[in-house]
Amino acid sequence: MIHRSVYTLMVLGLVVCAGLPVAAASDVLHEGVYQVGTLKPVDSTLRVKVGDRAPEFTLRAVSGGTISLKDYIGKKNIMISFVPAAWTPVCSDQWPGYNLAREEFEQSDTMVIGISVDNIPTLYAWTKTMGTLWFPVLSDFWPHGRTAEAYGVLRSDGTTERAIFIIDKQGIIRYIDVHDINSRPPLEGIITELEKMKR
Amino acid sequence: MKKISLFCLVAVLTGSLLLGAVYYGSIIEKVSLAVPVDAGDRSYLGIKQDTGQIGLADIDADIVIIEIFNMYCPHCQRHAPTANKLYQIIETDKRTQGRVKLIGIGVGNSPYEVKLFKKKYTVPFPLFDDPNSAVLNKLTGIKTPSFFGIRKKGKAAEAFFMEQGPHDDADAFLRKVIQQSGLSL
Repeated sequence: MIHRSVYTLMVLGLVVCAGLPVAAASDVLHEGVYQVGTLKPVDSTLRVKVGDRAPEFTLRAVSGGTISLKDYIGKKNIMISFVPAAWTPVCSDQWPGYNLAREEFEQSDTMVIGISVDNIPTLYAWTKTMGTLWFPVLSDFWPHGRTAEAYGVLRSDGTTERAIFIIDKQGIIRYIDVHDINSRPPLEGIITELEKMKR
Repeated sequence: MKKISLFCLVAVLTGSLLLGAVYYGSIIEKVSLAVPVDAGDRSYLGIKQDTGQIGLADIDADIVIIEIFNMYCPHCQRHAPTANKLYQIIETDKRTQGRVKLIGIGVGNSPYEVKLFKKKYTVPFPLFDDPNSAVLNKLTGIKTPSFFGIRKKGKAAEAFFMEQGPHDDADAFLRKVIQQSGLSL
């Protein structure tokens, strides 16, 4: 009887385990990352276009204090990287890539500004997992998504698009990529656009 | 009865781990890679002719260790020096030099992104890109970095080792892979 129970359990185990790789296929990429599934690629309407003056903002920074767009106007080109939400796939490994490409951004005299609608404590905990980011990360939490709304990248669920805005030293928008939220904007596309700023 | 339950639990967990490894291993065995442009990389891999694509069994080695990484993954970035050290250990030991080879596959990474990773960390071993996510899509759910050990079985490649997550001790890692391969040095 005992032998039969063991046999049954082991067979059951193997059946369950045979399905495990499939279950593992939907497992987390990183510890603590929440799986959101496939989302509507774009769920907002832009309020700015290339050639427009970039909407001004002042937002709280994870590093403390506030940072405004005007702090950089006349000094640096700016690349704003809106990411939908902390602790979600794609977002969690987008900014570490920009960390690695610091030299490439600096060669085109560009400062990256990361913005999310998450609050400061959430962004603090999340960005700590990325190592030391060389660029500021700002919270567009309250009034919720006001900056994202000004650019036209606030989605109907209160998150933002995965969007890139490149702004020149005069404060003029030179490039916009409201990317499919489910995938990461390729780095070479961004660097190519920044290279154009040197000309 | 408690002992039996414990035994069953261990059996279930062990079975799941083994089957997980086989599942991913069977994908890795079939991976096709573009022949590297760099002559040094081709020489290291023992690729004499540019046939466009190579299988893992075409690499001239008894064992091939494959690191599945992603340029954007902070764990992979932090692990890069350890992977470089693993390469140095293999290449400076005459028992492993030429018999054990190390490659990396940047899943979901474009050629530009892989090149940037190689440059930033001065990676001395060949890195392959996966721009169309061909490998990534099949390995969905796998953690990066992950490591596979491959050995030749006739004209095919056979996965005998898989480990997910970074490791700190390159020397211990290499010993573990060699031990599991059954290779006598």
